[in-house]
Amino acid sequence: MTERTLLFLIATSVLAALLLAIIFYYRKRAQQTTSSSWDELLSRLNSVDRISIELIALDAIDEFGQPRKDDDARRLDGKDIWRLVGGLDGLELLEQNSVVLIDIAAYVQRWYPEALDTAAELRLNAGTIQWHVNRLRLAEESGNLEGWFANYAQNTIATYYVMTRRVLALYDSKSLPMLTDLQRAL
Amino acid sequence: MHLTGLDLFLWAATFVGHVSLLFVLWFRNRIRSFPIFTALIGMNIVRTTVLFIIQSYGTKAQYFYTFWSFAILDVGLQLGVVCEIASHVFQTAREWTDSIRRQLIWWAIGSIAIATGLTWAAAPETRMWKQTVLIKGSFISAALMSELFVGMIALSVQARFPWSTYTARISEGLGAYSMATLALEMVRTYFGLKSDSHVYASLSHLRITLYLICLSYWIITLWRDVAVSSEMPDLMRKQLRELRDSSAQHIRLLESWRRR
Repeated sequence: MTERTLLFLIATSVLAALLLAIIFYYRKRAQQTTSSSWDELLSRLNSVDRISIELIALDAIDEFGQPRKDDDARRLDGKDIWRLVGGLDGLELLEQNSVVLIDIAAYVQRWYPEALDTAAELRLNAGTIQWHVNRLRLAEESGNLEGWFANYAQNTIATYYVMTRRVLALYDSKSLPMLTDLQRAL
Repeated sequence: MHLTGLDLFLWAATFVGHVSLLFVLWFRNRIRSFPIFTALIGMNIVRTTVLFIIQSYGTKAQYFYTFWSFAILDVGLQLGVVCEIASHVFQTAREWTDSIRRQLIWWAIGSIAIATGLTWAAAPETRMWKQTVLIKGSFISAALMSELFVGMIALSVQARFPWSTYTARISEGLGAYSMATLALEMVRTYFGLKSDSHVYASLSHLRITLYLICLSYWIITLWRDVAVSSEMPDLMRKQLRELRDSSAQHIRLLESWRRR
């Protein structure tokens, strides 16, 4: 057997093993996500100050989730937002919650397939939150966090707030008994 | 090229399998949802027929060029099926998120690079350059497809995208077949065609048998209706029971007041 053939065999075996490992890992993860109970889902939500979230969000958007264009919009400055949300750590908690919110919408999807659209919208929202928080992480690394915080943080919080309203509206529209638990948790 | 009884049986079985699957796709109205997958199955029916005719009445050169033309079309359509499945899985909100698109593109670039690197490293023993092209071509296609399917599964779970039943079934079939093919092509490349062509032929038979299993899986799963679970979760059932009990209690209370 030539050295090249040996290299080919080893490399292909490693690739095949790696692909199999990835499949098994993600299949297991998918099963865990889909088999989560309602209590398990709620327990994954980080506790956040909902009044502060609402205050910051409604400073930037209206009750329909549209950007406010009046003169009183976006009056909170970076320091206020930092204090109310708990800095970058607080935003990271919202980022984690945004993923749980998708799972909460997907939970309903097990019995109401039409919830797919809400879950899909939430995925886009969660992607937006991730993008904004990543920008802030980069800003922190380069020492520019203060300059960028107000804008990115408020956008993150507004998006998160819209996500919570969407999930609550979904549970409300289906008259699901878990709505009360959810209202308490969010 | 001499064909054994087993060769002819596998050839006929593949043809019947493809025709049956095409019928299922048409009869159960799946063509509109999976046009590229349907085109792939249709192309396979045409390929089997044309190659059988050329094998019986044509020349070796005609067979070689027709085989390769269809092989290229096959890989193109399989890549099309990957895109079709990706659009079913990731485009649920009528738009792709930037991060998903970016990650998929990077995964595809990485997959092409790895598959190309491995194919370059492969040095099968052959008598003619055509045989080298045949073995290397089959290997790169198997490596690329398995990488792409695994990548899609990983990304969809990571981003919490649901897999609709039929998309999942087509992906499972193609993904499992691609993974098995990767292992088979590795062995075929190692043995080559020079020393003992029986190994190559046996592995080819095994590959077709695996494909027939995959075809049967598609025929059964694509025929069936999507099973949507209508069973309520325990918590919902418990809360509804409590609500019913408390309503009954209130009614009893109202009735006792009325009697007074």
